[in-house]
Amino acid sequence: MVECDFPECTTFGSVIRFALELEKGASGVYEELAKEPKAAAAAETFKALAAAHKKRGELLEFTRQQKLNEMILEPIQDMRREKYLIDTKTPMGADVKTAAKFVAKIEEISSVFYLDSAKIAKMLMAEAARIMDKLGKENLANKAKLESL
Amino acid sequence: MGLLSEVKKDYGRLKNYVNGEWIDSNSDKAIDIENPSTGEIIGQVPMSTADETKAAIEAANEAWWAWRETPPITRGRLFFKLKEHLEQNFENIARIMTQEQGKTIDEARGETRRSIENVEVAAGIPSLMMGYGLEDGGAEGIDEDAIISPLGVFGAICPFNFPAMIPYWFWPYAVASGNTYIVKPSSQVPITQNYMTKMVEQAGFPPGVFNIVNGSHEVSDTLMEHPKVKGISFVGSSPVAKYIYKHSAEYGKRVQAQGGAKNSLVIMPDAVLDRTVSNMLASYYGCAGQRCLAGANMVAVGNIADTLLKKWVEGSKKIKMGYGLDESVNMGPVVSAKAKKKVIEYIDSAEADGAKILLDGRTAKVPGYEKGHFVGPTVIDQVTPDMKVAKEEIFGPVVTYLRMDTMDEAIDFIHSSPFGNAASVYTSSGKTAREFRYKCQCGNIGINIGIVAAMAYFPFAGYKDSFFGDLHGQGQDAIKFFTDRKVVITRWF
Repeated sequence: MVECDFPECTTFGSVIRFALELEKGASGVYEELAKEPKAAAAAETFKALAAAHKKRGELLEFTRQQKLNEMILEPIQDMRREKYLIDTKTPMGADVKTAAKFVAKIEEISSVFYLDSAKIAKMLMAEAARIMDKLGKENLANKAKLESL
Repeated sequence: MGLLSEVKKDYGRLKNYVNGEWIDSNSDKAIDIENPSTGEIIGQVPMSTADETKAAIEAANEAWWAWRETPPITRGRLFFKLKEHLEQNFENIARIMTQEQGKTIDEARGETRRSIENVEVAAGIPSLMMGYGLEDGGAEGIDEDAIISPLGVFGAICPFNFPAMIPYWFWPYAVASGNTYIVKPSSQVPITQNYMTKMVEQAGFPPGVFNIVNGSHEVSDTLMEHPKVKGISFVGSSPVAKYIYKHSAEYGKRVQAQGGAKNSLVIMPDAVLDRTVSNMLASYYGCAGQRCLAGANMVAVGNIADTLLKKWVEGSKKIKMGYGLDESVNMGPVVSAKAKKKVIEYIDSAEADGAKILLDGRTAKVPGYEKGHFVGPTVIDQVTPDMKVAKEEIFGPVVTYLRMDTMDEAIDFIHSSPFGNAASVYTSSGKTAREFRYKCQCGNIGINIGIVAAMAYFPFAGYKDSFFGDLHGQGQDAIKFFTDRKVVITRWF
């Protein structure tokens, strides 16, 4: 599971921090699955998605630095972390179907997190909201791709 | 995830940065720098002497002419380099600020961004300091031009509430326009500015162009009185701002002295309530109320008062306090035990004056941070305009709640204050907003915004006792403050 010791994302920084943890968790799982012999047929897809999630982490770091406006640094409510926790314990020995199903769940949960964040951020920081929305939609596209494996 | 890591546990005894070198002050006086969240001592700041300050002024003056002769485009390029170094150290700057000042990491990141924005604006100096001219402006065949020229050495005396940003309201503009500079950071929070000066050094500014002298009154007085210093920028409380303004002017200096505030946020019956409450939470409790743009008085107009107050108290109760390196924290401590005592005394006085404390932050505790200087969100109802808490700057997370019948009454109340820093109105009506903007005699006006913090390319304004001087920090105002117009009339035979 993604570790997080605050029960609720109550600030812009905590939303980004949680997102960074999601990305780190997801790319770690993809990297391990890419090495699974029984899932070798999907290794390239997993490698590509691992790299994509790392890149998303960089985008989030950029967002944290560049899109924060202290004039509208308002408290955030109703973003409880339990709703968005992903399982990052890679299923060892998984075949393509099992592996794909496992990571599709990660993508699905992540998409919910990003799309919820986008809705909240839209009221506060429109630029950050656009990035969250983009990431959530990418998660959904990844999920669809994985389900077709 | 836990806390974000601190950059260092102990920053040791800070050095001055003079003439391109890090120098130990030979003063035997130093004060401890305290982390206001934990109570830990994280460094010492020397109380530099008058002679050390004079040496810095001489170095800055020596460096001035060669720097003035450096073309503006070249000077501007160094600010692009500085920006890169600041970006690379962005997170460290923010974390140091949280550690020494107490603000949350989001607030510190926001402040770091604002500092960098001033560097970005100053990097455009060739366009910003262009003069103007007129062919045949003198007479036929006689042209007249006004050239914008730098003046020499300038200095800034800085406050504790924005350790990174406030020096950057001034010095990038001064140095970009060809002056040299000395910053005296607040002795309560000097580490951030000292750390950022390493980036100035890495960017390659010539020795003497930018200098840091740590200390207190002795440094300030020397800067104000030295004949080679052309001007002083200051931010702090109004009584000190007034003293700085008078004293520096007595010595023939240009002065821009930003003082205190008592900002009112006026909520009209047609305000969008949920959005208004959310935005105002950031205004009243952001930086634990230690902003000169923080909301202080909350003025409810008409029949919105009870509904607003209920929502406000509910929202205030949800504010999470703690060490700002925990990213889920909404509000940190106030800066010192002394500051906490002062805030508590104000709340006591409100109670004694007959106001009702609906939410009391006086006894707030944060588990694990018992030595921190935390004051919880405090809401005081039934405040009247004559009460001390409605008139004086508290500089803490304290909301004084007033009820008025009309916007005009609210504006009259705002105008009764000696301060004129900021005021905001929350409304859905363009007409109401326009009227507020038009009538309100404050330097920074917010329409559905509770922190009216001018961006780097606008002046940080302020009226009445909130500002002494005429040209403000940031943007074109800053360029004008740090330069003069030289008129040249030319005829060729």
